[in-house]
Amino acid sequence: MTNHYSHDLKTPSFLFVDSGTYFGSQTTRKEQENPDTYVIDIYDLPSYDLSPHKILVIDGFADQHLLLQQSEQIRQFLDQGNILLFSGNLFLSWLPGASLFVPKTIHHHSDYNVHFHHPHPIFEGVEADNLTYNKGVSGFFARGHHPIPHQAEVLLTLEGGEPITYIDRYSTKGTILVHSGSNLLGYSMRSNTSGRIGTQLKAWLYEEYEQISKRRITS
Amino acid sequence: MRKIAVLYSGNSHQHRTFYEPKYKAYLHKIVYLPELSSTTLDDVDVLIVPSQLHQRQVSKNLDIIMGVVNRGGTIVALGAQSQNWFPGHNWEFRPTNFWWWLEKDAKSGLILRQPEHDLFRYINLLDATWHYHGVFFPPVGAETLIEVDGDGAIMYIDKVSTPGTLIMTTLDPEYHYGSYFMPATERFLTGFLPWLAEGSI
Repeated sequence: MTNHYSHDLKTPSFLFVDSGTYFGSQTTRKEQENPDTYVIDIYDLPSYDLSPHKILVIDGFADQHLLLQQSEQIRQFLDQGNILLFSGNLFLSWLPGASLFVPKTIHHHSDYNVHFHHPHPIFEGVEADNLTYNKGVSGFFARGHHPIPHQAEVLLTLEGGEPITYIDRYSTKGTILVHSGSNLLGYSMRSNTSGRIGTQLKAWLYEEYEQISKRRITS
Repeated sequence: MRKIAVLYSGNSHQHRTFYEPKYKAYLHKIVYLPELSSTTLDDVDVLIVPSQLHQRQVSKNLDIIMGVVNRGGTIVALGAQSQNWFPGHNWEFRPTNFWWWLEKDAKSGLILRQPEHDLFRYINLLDATWHYHGVFFPPVGAETLIEVDGDGAIMYIDKVSTPGTLIMTTLDPEYHYGSYFMPATERFLTGFLPWLAEGSI
């Protein structure tokens, strides 16, 4: 038990996959300073053992050809009772249960309005307008959606009901959270209520991991 | 028609932009960056280096990339240049003002330095106007096409630093078009690619 405990202390729960791009570099630097998170270069994924980590974080700058090539590795990680957070637009089928991104045809700026499908701890205290608008301009949060897998739990939608954020607990033995926008963990240190998301999401991810472990024990 | 290749890091916005049929029609080759070392660029006249590539792979393969200009070809570099991949650009970071157009008497601050240049038969200043992530201070002898009034260049052509041609712009149209964001970037690409293919550079 002692060994197991010390292993947990040393191994960060989160594994952040660095796309290596300029726009991704700010997040990468931030995550490198985060004691909860270990950062790997995306092209090191094939030779990397994911199993010591609990939560894999991949953003929209990632090379999806590489992710498709590694889809079995990702599925195995999830089937071990772990979590994947993907934020971005899917154009290749590497993510279990997920469909490809469908861009929204915009007729009016209100088509970008974000709605809560039902209350969820990740978005507690967050105002929908703070997601929709940035300095009065809409369209930053999500510009399309991924059609959901069977039994997925929808968290956020666009004006026409398109699900932009969902949780899938059925396609694998773990949990997948898909968001069709920028990295949801990046919503912190903001001047409005959207800044609550980063911390609340992190707390929820830890809690979800515990729930998966319990599900596995009882099943 | 010049043969144009583009480097590709497999991300979603690049996929959307480069595989869009109206743009793909101008691309002789889409080169997956992890496979660059086993791909020939000998048949390429123009190599586009987009803004969001895997930076370490670009650095590792810089000799192959610079080979295009060193044999007299053209490189087009899009977006911020925080690395010293290409000579002489003297890029300086500028905080991005996404919001200039919301301000009273809004001005982007961009001006055409050579309105008579052939590029401006294909695009106009508004097609190149969204925001920028920094400016260049190009070397003596380079031609500045678009600049920030009272500051550096956001697009220039350099035929002095290498045996070939460097077209440098801090604009990142392929990122915004591929992210379904910023309509001017579609107009920019719709004019810019035909100019690269057949215009007077």
